[in-house]
Amino acid sequence: MRVGQFLLRLSLVVWLCVVASHGAAIAGATATLPEAIEADVSARSVSVQADFTGTEIVVFGTVENSRQPSAEAGTYDIIIVVEGTSVPHVVRRKSNLGGLWMNTTSVRFASLPSYYAIASTRPIQDIAELPILTQNQIGFEHVRMVKSGSGRTQPTDAEDLAEFRDAVVRLKKRDGLYIQSDYAVAFVGRSLFRTTIKVPPNVPIGVLKAKVYLFREGRLLGEYKSEVALARAGIERVLHDVAYRHGLLYGLGVVFFAVAAGLASAFAFRRE
Amino acid sequence: MYVYLPIAELPVQVPLFLALGCMVGFLSGLFGVGGGFLLTPLMIFLGIPPAVAVGTSAAHIVATSVSGAVTQYRRNNVDLKMGGVMLAGGVIGTIIGVEAVRLLRKAGLFDVTVSLTYMIFLGVVGTLMLIESINTWRHAQSTGGKKRKKSGQHSFIDGLPLKMRFQRSKLYMSAIPPAIIGMFVGFMAAIMGVGGGFFIIPAMIYLLRMPTSVVVGTSLFQILFVAVLATILQAVQNKSVDVVLATLLITGGVIGAQIGAMSARRFKGEELRGLLAALVLLVALRVAYDLVVTPAELFNFGPSQVPK
Repeated sequence: MRVGQFLLRLSLVVWLCVVASHGAAIAGATATLPEAIEADVSARSVSVQADFTGTEIVVFGTVENSRQPSAEAGTYDIIIVVEGTSVPHVVRRKSNLGGLWMNTTSVRFASLPSYYAIASTRPIQDIAELPILTQNQIGFEHVRMVKSGSGRTQPTDAEDLAEFRDAVVRLKKRDGLYIQSDYAVAFVGRSLFRTTIKVPPNVPIGVLKAKVYLFREGRLLGEYKSEVALARAGIERVLHDVAYRHGLLYGLGVVFFAVAAGLASAFAFRRE
Repeated sequence: MYVYLPIAELPVQVPLFLALGCMVGFLSGLFGVGGGFLLTPLMIFLGIPPAVAVGTSAAHIVATSVSGAVTQYRRNNVDLKMGGVMLAGGVIGTIIGVEAVRLLRKAGLFDVTVSLTYMIFLGVVGTLMLIESINTWRHAQSTGGKKRKKSGQHSFIDGLPLKMRFQRSKLYMSAIPPAIIGMFVGFMAAIMGVGGGFFIIPAMIYLLRMPTSVVVGTSLFQILFVAVLATILQAVQNKSVDVVLATLLITGGVIGAQIGAMSARRFKGEELRGLLAALVLLVALRVAYDLVVTPAELFNFGPSQVPK
């Protein structure tokens, strides 16, 4: 009987130990599980119609296995980049020739993003080191700009070329197409974050690529990609398609309308 | 109230562009010019991409010159024969001009050429017109309105072959000068994106010595066909005619043109020419200012697609 009782107690202790150690293992695993990021955009497609005056995209996501004690702790940094389609651009510089300001030098970029919006939890230079930002093309200075080989009046030295790169950013900022907002990404809980990206009305129509980067102490822990398709819809689409596919028909149509409007007004205002 | 433009790819304020069309239409009805030399720079100033501004202003010129030309035709103020001869030259000039535009854009010299031609031609034409209208006005003051007769001043033109009789203009002259003027206007129209009225009117008055009564009507007739050709060429080759923008401008423009044509009756010829001269000079000075004064931003985006 005593032996039986002892054995029962022993088995109970063993069982408890097993449970306890297993539990500790689970707890330990939780502490070391790597963080990951999941994110998405509020709308996968935006239709551009006659009443389009720009839009806003909400980018939101969550940090998996967040160790952040609260939303304000600042354990993690998030950088969100929304990029428009890359298209060729020609940048020209004026100089004074015989008293007249004219375009003399030009650089042809085979490809650079037509639109580039960046939002982050704090200034990007505080979030990560330069090599990481450069490698991932985060920030205006690191935007991928491919210089085209062909050009009539190309600047020769790198310093001069850098001036053209700066000019691209400056001109794009002026047009509201390159937007940077530090502190625009906010955590709304231990792991949930969100931001609003402004898409101006003059954005070139195409696919916008959204990339979300998760950082902790300067290390890139993960990234997530999504897309927003900007597409013409309704009458905008019909008119654009006709103009590009049937140029002659479109031109004749515009002339017909112009002549009809002119004749109608001449008739309406006739005083005889 | 905004509407999104399908070709320019940006939204514009509806009342603003209706008003712009109306204002330019008024001037075109008043002076018998297309108004392209004002409309194109103003559209660019309001944020329309330059290529779309040039292409779309051609459509606006079609509408305003149609209503003006029909009004003038009813009053028998159009010399169809003279207009036809000029138009024949104009078509050739436009085709040469379109090719010149392509070559200049390829060489990266298009912008400077446009600015310089605007400055030089508007400046010279504006100055000459202003001097002439001031002289006429002063002469009219001193002689009690009797028109100064000029004769024997164009012996060179008189000596040219291919003489034709232009009944409506009461002229018997060679067809070569009007054809060359028409060709030149077509060429300028292609380069500057304008109908060329500011140039063709003084040319008709001072070079061809046409009676003032038929000048406005005949120039509108010529401008109408050049603008039709330009609209179609721009739509086919450059895809730069925005039908929504054109609709806004035309709606305002045809109303403005009628009001302008009615107002024109209240002014004397030399007064109108003086006003037009002042306007032309103003635009020339504005272009010159941009060419001469150090710009705040030295860099700009050029057209990324160079036409082949």
